[in-house]
Amino acid sequence: MSLPEMSALFPTLQEVIFVLFALLIAVTSLIAAMAPNLFHNALGLVATLFGIAGIYFMLEAEFVGVSQILVYIGAIATLITFAIMLTRGMMFGRTSAMNRQGLAGAIISGLFFVVLLGIVFQVPWPNVVADITDGEALIANLGALFVSTYLLPFELLALLLLVALTGALLLARDR
Amino acid sequence: METTLDLSTLNLAVVLPELTLIVFAILVMAADVFATPKNPAPRQWTPWIALAGVVAAAIVNLSVSGREVTLFQGAAILDKFAVGLNYIILLATGLGILLSVKYIPRINKQVGEYYALTLLTATGMMMMGAALDLITLFLALEIFSLALYILSGLNRTSPRSTEAAIKYFLLGAFSSAFFAYGGALIYAGTGTTQYYGIAQVTAAGLANTPLLYAGIALLVAGFGFKVSLVPFHSWTPDVYQGAPTPVTAFMSVGTKAAAFAAFFRVMLVALPFSYGAWSMPLALLAVITMAVGNFAALQQRSLKRMLAYSSIAHAGYILTALAGGAAEGADAALFYLFTYAFMNIGAFAVVMALEEMGAEDAMQDRAKGLGKTHPIMAFLMAIFMFGLSGMPPLAGFYGKVLLFEAAVAGGMIWLAIAAVAFTAVGAVYYLRVIANMYFADPVDESADEVNRSLPLDVGLAIAVAGTILVGVFPGFWMNAFQQSMALFGG
Repeated sequence: MSLPEMSALFPTLQEVIFVLFALLIAVTSLIAAMAPNLFHNALGLVATLFGIAGIYFMLEAEFVGVSQILVYIGAIATLITFAIMLTRGMMFGRTSAMNRQGLAGAIISGLFFVVLLGIVFQVPWPNVVADITDGEALIANLGALFVSTYLLPFELLALLLLVALTGALLLARDR
Repeated sequence: METTLDLSTLNLAVVLPELTLIVFAILVMAADVFATPKNPAPRQWTPWIALAGVVAAAIVNLSVSGREVTLFQGAAILDKFAVGLNYIILLATGLGILLSVKYIPRINKQVGEYYALTLLTATGMMMMGAALDLITLFLALEIFSLALYILSGLNRTSPRSTEAAIKYFLLGAFSSAFFAYGGALIYAGTGTTQYYGIAQVTAAGLANTPLLYAGIALLVAGFGFKVSLVPFHSWTPDVYQGAPTPVTAFMSVGTKAAAFAAFFRVMLVALPFSYGAWSMPLALLAVITMAVGNFAALQQRSLKRMLAYSSIAHAGYILTALAGGAAEGADAALFYLFTYAFMNIGAFAVVMALEEMGAEDAMQDRAKGLGKTHPIMAFLMAIFMFGLSGMPPLAGFYGKVLLFEAAVAGGMIWLAIAAVAFTAVGAVYYLRVIANMYFADPVDESADEVNRSLPLDVGLAIAVAGTILVGVFPGFWMNAFQQSMALFGG
């Protein structure tokens, strides 16, 4: 067997890294959804978000990857963790993540997975690597798009945050 | 690629009605800040400021109507369809505010935030009809959904209201995930999120079909949750029952109008060339929805739950027009939702008047003998029930005719026949309420108080006037909704 033929049998380093990240996401998202302790759920979520950031890096979307880590892990996940740690019942309590509909849910999501898998194998994936703009120009473009083509969605995002803020006030303030 | 900021495409007329509402939402919040325990007056002004905002937005909406402009290379559009939807949303918001004036302070002291959130909800709903890009659409959907989760949990002392909010939030977040996944797959399949772009790519046969179809299926599931199609309807009865009644009245019409408007625009503008793939599934969904909605409504003891299942059935009727795939379907749906706003909010307003303090609901028994104890209330309820059942000459009749005509225009005669049959089933539970009111004796003499107030009476008067006038003179109102949608290449 010649060397090129042999190398086809082994996955490339990139594939190995991808599989590791994918496994990390799959396992930790299961923990996030099903672990009986809420604190473990939160830690699972942090690891899931980290794995997704890894996928972004592999797709050479460094800016999105860094934002993911800064915003989701740095801010949101920290906030969730604090909220849980400050609430005794949540920190040490054990609640089953399952209810009577667990089996039905598993069957339906299993079927959904099979359907998605079928689609994945049907799709004629393009066999070319897209031309990726280098980092700095990419971020500059991103910024320019936010104030031109995507100005309206950008402003709507601000409105969404206003709604969330007002809603939080309505829910959390003393009666 | 160099992106430049082209201010000539920044045509703010497209979002001017929405901007007006946002300004008034901020005014409401500002007024609320000046309220103190000693001087609560500014807080009592908030409903009227909000109402002024609705009227102002309606005037702005009138002034921008008659044009067809897009914003920023197609992030949003202002056409007759968007303007028509704006009227429906503003009508529902205005009636919702009138219903809230006396009701909300009883259950939550933070009325300022309540009215601000109501206006912001309406803003999101209006954006749904204007969106011409999946990203805009998703954000508009999130804005009004997030606000509604909170509004339905407004009564924090009531376990039912809290349950409604949590249930709505969990299932709503779940459906948003479907929606986002569907949008992402459509983007992956066509390379664009803009409706016209998607239509262009699919027309040229350049789309990645499996990805596109998977995306459409997920998007339909997402919309299905929002407009409560069966089998995505399970949240509807619980949320409608648990949420404070003014909120239920507002969201039953507002959500349905906004989500259906966006649903029609996505299907008819972005995906008309995939019609073969989505028409039959939608027709089947419509049949199941009409069947489950109508038959479940027959069995309800609570009036709010009955109206919830009735709203599911109405979602089925509207879906028949979309399954037909004809452009007239969009006009018919808009007209129908316009009539539905009067009838449905009117019905909820009567239920609200019949509610006992703190119960947040009224049972069928409560309607018994109402014709004797409160003839005016009974008469109004009868008008709304007749209207919802589609009885001529009231508003619901002509709307249903248009919907089923649109289904026939798309070649789905069997679907129109099924819809007419289910309308007949639906008549049973609407008429039962009327029969209870006029031919049964009051069950509980002590509970014959009705909670009326001036704002509620005004709201009822508007609702009943609309139900009758739109039904008697449909042609006059129909003009506002004819050939409304700016179609691709049209």
